[in-house]
Amino acid sequence: MNLFQRTIRDLHQMLIDREISSVELTESVLGQIEAVGEKTKAYLVVTRDLALRQARAADERLRANRDVRSLTGIPIALKDVLCVKDVVSTAGSQILNGFTPPYSATVVERLEAEGAVFLGKTNCDEFAMGSSNENSGYWPVHNPWTLDRVPGGSSGGSAAAVASGEAVAALGSDTGGSIRQPAALTGIVGLKPTYGRVSRYGLIAFASSLDQIGPMTRDVVDCALVLHTIAGHDRRDSTSSPRPVPDYLSTVRNGVKGMRLGVPREYFVAGMEPAVEQAIRDAIRLLEQQGASIEEVSLPHSDIALPAYYIIAPAEASSNLARYDGVRYGHQAEGARNLIEEYMLTRQQGFGAEVKRRIMLGTYALSSGYYDAYYLQAQKVRTLIIEDFKRAFEKVDALLGATSPTVAFPLGAKTQDPVAMYLNDIITIPANLGNVCGISVPCGLADGLPIGLQVIAPGFREDTALQVAYAFEAATDFRKLQSPLMRAAAA
Amino acid sequence: MVVLPKSSLSSAEVEHVARLARLGITPEEVVRYRDQLRHILDAIDALNRADTSAVPATAHPLEERNVMRDDRRESCLPAEAALKNAPTREDSYFKVKAIQE
Repeated sequence: MNLFQRTIRDLHQMLIDREISSVELTESVLGQIEAVGEKTKAYLVVTRDLALRQARAADERLRANRDVRSLTGIPIALKDVLCVKDVVSTAGSQILNGFTPPYSATVVERLEAEGAVFLGKTNCDEFAMGSSNENSGYWPVHNPWTLDRVPGGSSGGSAAAVASGEAVAALGSDTGGSIRQPAALTGIVGLKPTYGRVSRYGLIAFASSLDQIGPMTRDVVDCALVLHTIAGHDRRDSTSSPRPVPDYLSTVRNGVKGMRLGVPREYFVAGMEPAVEQAIRDAIRLLEQQGASIEEVSLPHSDIALPAYYIIAPAEASSNLARYDGVRYGHQAEGARNLIEEYMLTRQQGFGAEVKRRIMLGTYALSSGYYDAYYLQAQKVRTLIIEDFKRAFEKVDALLGATSPTVAFPLGAKTQDPVAMYLNDIITIPANLGNVCGISVPCGLADGLPIGLQVIAPGFREDTALQVAYAFEAATDFRKLQSPLMRAAAA
Repeated sequence: MVVLPKSSLSSAEVEHVARLARLGITPEEVVRYRDQLRHILDAIDALNRADTSAVPATAHPLEERNVMRDDRRESCLPAEAALKNAPTREDSYFKVKAIQE
């Protein structure tokens, strides 16, 4: 097996046993990026020099046995919405082409403190708006399982990188499903933490009441490891929670015996592919065999979560993206006669079609005369979604369902129909609005394409979500499935 | 129950919204976005199904209220770091065009 195919834990053991160095490991991953990067297009920027510099520093740390942590020397990819000081960070947008942030995101600093190695910035839908990565302002990402399919989005580059061996782990961000859905479509593990669990400082904002940063990894224990590193209060983000971070690793293997797991009947949505439904039903049965009790529950407002989201997220985005005016950073249009015209031209040239659509939708929903009917109504529906989850979690410890109603679809299949594209997130959006956490874990293949099981747990119960996901993973062989791009390298 | 406006979004409204958002838009885009936004607004109309007359709005999911820090002077971003990405600058200022001609 190549180094780039292994888990963080395996590699950590090999590093501390001096079996390998971080430089060797980093070169192995950089070699895989060179070999398949043109096929997946997962990265916008590969920070080769930085990675090797960090790897050498990690090796010194390991040699001296000084402050060695679980991520010391481990090569990790960062979604392009995360600011890394002096490394081009564009959020997948032309309007930020060439922007080098003057400071790093808190999660980036935490990984740096662990001695992690940064491989580069991964491609994503522009400002994280999309479910297929086709809204990238640079180029689309291809799914390592079948190159003519999308990897999901918006963290499609991070997902493709982990699934193809171009990173050992990655960070993504999830506003309506942008970690979980691409994780499902590429056969990896992805976790959206509860809002407030992870600091958003240095995350290029999309919808500030929904955005969360989270891990994308080969398996559930790696996911617990990375989450443990990035979670916790940050004084630079007043919305980060002061709640203590539990030791996820000490509970992740505790199993589901005696747990009550709920199956929301609304999550078997119309249009769900039969193979996906079958895989989810099988997964539920398997967890029952592992000792969990299963009961059907109802989240009655699930069907209006999607419309509420498509008011709230664009409304927040239209306000957040007002900062891109060509004055302080990013693209500035030439030839404007005055400031207003410069704003209009800069934004016309710098933003892509989906971002413009959402800015207009959000501005419309917030504009005089429509505020009550749209924005306020959506915020009230958000309350109903929160109450749905509260009622369900009085009866059960976690909820089970599909992550995505379909497997990866062909590139171009939904680009002409925004509404069809939005439906991809129909079962992931409620967790963002309801302020709970969710994880996607591989649960099978349909015609060679991965399917994800979603486990949703109450707010700040990432430990429960990880525990259920691990119990499932450990009882199956799905974690051993590797994308053809990864397998080809091993042959 | 709140009654949503029918999504007979007009081209003039699209132009107005684009102007509010400081977004330049071509005449062809006005038509394209109008049609797409109508479609999206129709889908969003489902919001109307919920009776929310007695439901409070949720603006954010935070447990904390009034987060304060000590009133102590701290270092901040140096001017040069803040200006390094400026498309146009003069000395230690961002340079902008006149607001009025």
